[in-house]
Amino acid sequence: MNLWNRLMCYCRRRSPWLFHMNSGSCNGCDIELVASLTPRYDAEQLGVRLEGSPRHADILCITGPVTHNSVEAIKTVYGQVCGPKAVVAIGSCPATTNVFIDSRTLDGPLNRHIPVDVFVPGCPPRPDAIIQGVAKAAAILAERGNKLPVESVMVPIGESTCACADATQPAAGEVQP
Amino acid sequence: MNLTTALARLLIFPGLLFAVPAAWFFLWVERKSVALMQGRIGPPFMQPFYDFIKLLGKSTPPRSGVGGLLMMMWPLLAVSAAAGAVGMLPVLPSSGGFEGDLILLLALLELPSMCVIAAGFSSRSIFGEIGSAREAALSVSYNVVFLLAIVSIAASQHTFRLEALAHLPASPLHWLGVLAILVCLPAKLHINPFSLPNAEQEIYSGPMVEYAGPELAMWELSHGLEWVAATGLVATLAAPHFAAWWLAAMVFVALSFVVVLLLSATAAATARLQIDTTVRFYWQCTLIFAVLAISSALFMRFKS
Amino acid sequence: MNILTMLWRNLWGGSRTLLFPARPKVTKGYRGLVRFDPALCTGCAICRFRCTARAIEFKAAKGEFTWSYDPGQCTFCGRCVEGCKTHALSQDSQCPPVYLTIGALKNSYTVARKPAPKPAAAAPPAAAAPTSIPAQEARNEPA
Repeated sequence: MNLWNRLMCYCRRRSPWLFHMNSGSCNGCDIELVASLTPRYDAEQLGVRLEGSPRHADILCITGPVTHNSVEAIKTVYGQVCGPKAVVAIGSCPATTNVFIDSRTLDGPLNRHIPVDVFVPGCPPRPDAIIQGVAKAAAILAERGNKLPVESVMVPIGESTCACADATQPAAGEVQP
Repeated sequence: MNLTTALARLLIFPGLLFAVPAAWFFLWVERKSVALMQGRIGPPFMQPFYDFIKLLGKSTPPRSGVGGLLMMMWPLLAVSAAAGAVGMLPVLPSSGGFEGDLILLLALLELPSMCVIAAGFSSRSIFGEIGSAREAALSVSYNVVFLLAIVSIAASQHTFRLEALAHLPASPLHWLGVLAILVCLPAKLHINPFSLPNAEQEIYSGPMVEYAGPELAMWELSHGLEWVAATGLVATLAAPHFAAWWLAAMVFVALSFVVVLLLSATAAATARLQIDTTVRFYWQCTLIFAVLAISSALFMRFKS
Repeated sequence: MNILTMLWRNLWGGSRTLLFPARPKVTKGYRGLVRFDPALCTGCAICRFRCTARAIEFKAAKGEFTWSYDPGQCTFCGRCVEGCKTHALSQDSQCPPVYLTIGALKNSYTVARKPAPKPAAAAPPAAAAPTSIPAQEARNEPA
């Protein structure tokens, strides 16, 4: 079984599939994320594919300070991502809510709701920085193996947010790498 | 043909042992050539293999009841049908076969798209239903042309036996039929300009929206095997007859490779068409030629 | 047929992709990380007032002050650099790196206040010492 595990780690690092989600961002980071798929930066040289369904993806890329309206959606989509998964917070908004720090419509940094593995700072981050963040997340995913991160509750088909809504919140500010 | 040659055909060449690496190779060729034509470097060589192994290691969402069993069954059915279709191609000389095995090959080639449609509906998600409806509309459109083209080739040669079709000398009607099949191939393989069921950002991957893990690996594999089977069909119909088996095999692989490159160039050069444009294209433009082909085949048959 | 000639030229003309760890050069006016020079800072805290994202924190104590900057909170607008009268802040072309925990990129400096220069003799400026492990080095004044 050791050979199979090593093969699996090797393949997980080389085939990161992304799902992109916007939690109220200004779209600057979303544009830079899509720009990283263009010929100049070409994320596909690392095997990155932007997937249409959260069930297909390994890495959830989230932009935007988390607005009240999007908290439930984020938790649901995080529950829908299968298997070993990683979360990349793109931009400085999900990490610290950046310039929106006093806004009444926000619900705090992203790691109050889901465990985040990699933060890519910048406003917006350059596409090459985003690719570096995704590569780091793929390496983390390969090391993590089959252990799921804390509070990952899988949402079965047909159920809505109920399975994830009572996930316990992580301690503010600290996530395990 | 005895049992051992039949099993060797089904399992070794051009069966499973050849078809699965060939599927990964053709998937890579498509992605890499589209990338090179778009001015970027594409994925590394083993990328479809890495994707497959990684998907085997992911967990699947919890499912229950008959719906869950059904959802697990469709990808397996698609993979076996596509692998069987590849195994039946008359690549090697003296492959044997039986009278009417062309019809079996066509049925096996149809099954993966039927499984996609059924999978979209059985996933109980609206995105799956929309994707399946689009796939069904697409299937109805291109299948008429596809089947008419193949039947016209078979009628002009007076046989429904694959081996005979591959080895008889060709007529102009034969090439018209091959051209019609080539026009239907982008729709069959879900690549631009007819990649509607695969619209990723539009309908969240359509029929595949609730699939994950090993089932998704099976869907990707069936997609690759469909590539091998469809391009292999064109290659066997277009290839000249060779007596040496290794020469025939090499020509088969080379011709399939050329067809893959042609389809990738089409995919890189076009954008996705909407469903009404697609249906209109197949029913208005290409149906005329298919009807012409089959009517001239029947006419020549009644004349002789 | 324009698209076909474009595809043909792309196929033989090579790709314009940067291979993975390579990063492109930035333009001349690129606004990147904010650099702090403790020797020039007088502790007026205009940068904290002007900062749009509250990335700069300023805490005054007796005889010294602590200035800290979190690139993870920064929006790289440059208002602090514009507002600094003594040009202690500057923006260079380096992008902030990827990090794993919140607050990992934060730098703090504790700067002792310089005594007001006496008109008769030149007062020796005090030395500054960084308190956390920053990405940039601090300059020491000759005592």
